[in-house]
Amino acid sequence: MRSRRNETNEESSVRGPNSALTAFLREQGITAEVIERRNRQREEQEELERAAVTQRVATDANSDIEELVDAATSKRRAADVSDDDGDDGNHDRDPDGKSYCLDCDVEFKITVLSKRAERNGRAGYLCADCTLIQQRKARNARRNEVEARKRRKKVAAALLDKQEYKLPSLQDICVKLISQNIEEVDAFGDIGTVNMRKISKILSKNRSLNGHTMTLFLDAGLKELEFWDCSNMDSDSYTKIAAFCPRIERLTLWMCGQLHNDNLRYIATNLPNLTHLTLNGPFLISDSCWQDFFEIVGSRLKGFHILNTHRFSNDSMVSLLENCGSGLEELTISRMDGLDSKPVYDILPHYLTKLKHLEISYPTKEELVDDALIVNLLSVNGETLETLILDGCSGLTDATLVSGIRPFCPSLRKLSLGLLDQITDDGASQLFTDWDINDGLMEVSLRRCTALTDAGVYPMLEHSRSTLIELNLNSVYGITTQMFQDWSRNLKLGLLTSLDIGFVQSVNDKAVSILGRVCPKLTILEVYGCNNCTQEATVRSGLRLIGRQTDNF
Amino acid sequence: MVDVEEPELADSPYVTLISSDGLQYVVKREAALVSGTLRGMLNVDSSFQEAETNRIKLHEIDSVLLEKVVEYLYYNLKYKNEVDTPEFEIPTEMSLELLVAADFLDV
Repeated sequence: MRSRRNETNEESSVRGPNSALTAFLREQGITAEVIERRNRQREEQEELERAAVTQRVATDANSDIEELVDAATSKRRAADVSDDDGDDGNHDRDPDGKSYCLDCDVEFKITVLSKRAERNGRAGYLCADCTLIQQRKARNARRNEVEARKRRKKVAAALLDKQEYKLPSLQDICVKLISQNIEEVDAFGDIGTVNMRKISKILSKNRSLNGHTMTLFLDAGLKELEFWDCSNMDSDSYTKIAAFCPRIERLTLWMCGQLHNDNLRYIATNLPNLTHLTLNGPFLISDSCWQDFFEIVGSRLKGFHILNTHRFSNDSMVSLLENCGSGLEELTISRMDGLDSKPVYDILPHYLTKLKHLEISYPTKEELVDDALIVNLLSVNGETLETLILDGCSGLTDATLVSGIRPFCPSLRKLSLGLLDQITDDGASQLFTDWDINDGLMEVSLRRCTALTDAGVYPMLEHSRSTLIELNLNSVYGITTQMFQDWSRNLKLGLLTSLDIGFVQSVNDKAVSILGRVCPKLTILEVYGCNNCTQEATVRSGLRLIGRQTDNF
Repeated sequence: MVDVEEPELADSPYVTLISSDGLQYVVKREAALVSGTLRGMLNVDSSFQEAETNRIKLHEIDSVLLEKVVEYLYYNLKYKNEVDTPEFEIPTEMSLELLVAADFLDV
């Protein structure tokens, strides 16, 4: 290496990643420069030849057409490697360079510009007119291909959004245009709440919700406000929310990293009707501020959802439970790394008694959320509980299902057990077999419950067959083709509209057609990573297959 | 705006839309039916006066907006089932008012 570097001085010692080919070429002394030099030489050579030919043509133009044609054909032949039968160019050619057009059979003189073509196995040349027509056809074909590609792209984009491509409505066109020019807008006027929400969502998606644009959504009579990306909203903007919209009952702020202690206090004091608060990522709020907030809002807080902050500590949690616990109907604690005390988790059942919605997901350590805690929580709240989300609480085992959910949850409608790898067939079948107190679940996620197989999943399908609307079986590897067969023979899921069955290897073409038949309302079937599901699958009309590997657009 | 014989019959293939400033737009019934609101008004079972006379007064939409709306109705009618469609052009300054109108007309 060293010696080579001395040899070629201009090579720098800093290099990007190299492929084996590049390394090989460099070793052989082949560089871009060498290649270029070779090309130049070849071009010069050709130039010379061409000059010689034209000279000859100039001297005896009449007699040498034959030669010219030969030169031309040989050159073409050289360029066209695939064309290997030697003399087919001569079929319709007179010795004096006359030929009959392959398309229209008119007699014409071959020039270097004449197009070679093949028709029904006969090779020959086209006359000038037909050459033009051919060229135009080729150009159109190319343009059509480009347009077809664009069309396929639009359809594919819509498919990935889980929608069918349709003509945008006039409202959609306007909303898009307004979002693009949002900085110019002074006030919206009466555009309707649906459109308002649409624009707000688009702005969040474009990350253009800021101190100016957010004010457009504020209105004195507003009862519900959602901002999905507040990262560009400064501290003053949060104050504005509370100052301009005193009647807000439900407030949702995502990515509210700039939400200050003072803002939260102001919200607590100035929004007397606030009952539901959702905050994602409020990491500036200190422990003492949380405690103040909970003391002020007290028992009027009915729903509290908090996600992604490490500053919400064990003490904050205790304060939440003491001040608001008795009134809480909805609670979400997701990805809260500051909550690391087992005793604090364990007192949850002492305060929470009438929950309808409970989400405890992705705790910082898996031992924080154990079976005993969930069973206790369910024993007091089970009667009212409609939504239970326990994604990522991987410390939970079958006991949660058997002694918690089964006996205590008659009104449960949504159950999410994502990433619970200790849940087994045994537990699942015990839960769902003859689970008569519950009339059926509407939404179930068993995503990445890797220990489950047919024996666990099938009883669930059987139990909720007439109610299930949305089902996620992504990465439940144990599902076999047998289950689809049983499903096909014995079950009909009349309401199921959306099914994610990605990364389940047993999903094949047959399974897809079974699903289409036994789930008459199914519109979205996600099959990412199902290699056995191919182009051959019969897909019922109205069913959209998303993520099939062989689909190319 | 087009001055043709006034269609009066309920089963006429044309309906008349009248803007707030009094201009009349005679459009194909098919095109008018793209709009949910107009569809409701023109429904013969609805016993709206509009359904009988085939004339719809839009008090809150002026002629500039209505012309654009009509343009969209025909655009929708023409390209409903196609994927490869030309962009529907709207002047930026009109977008907010047009959104209000589109919201009202449910298009």
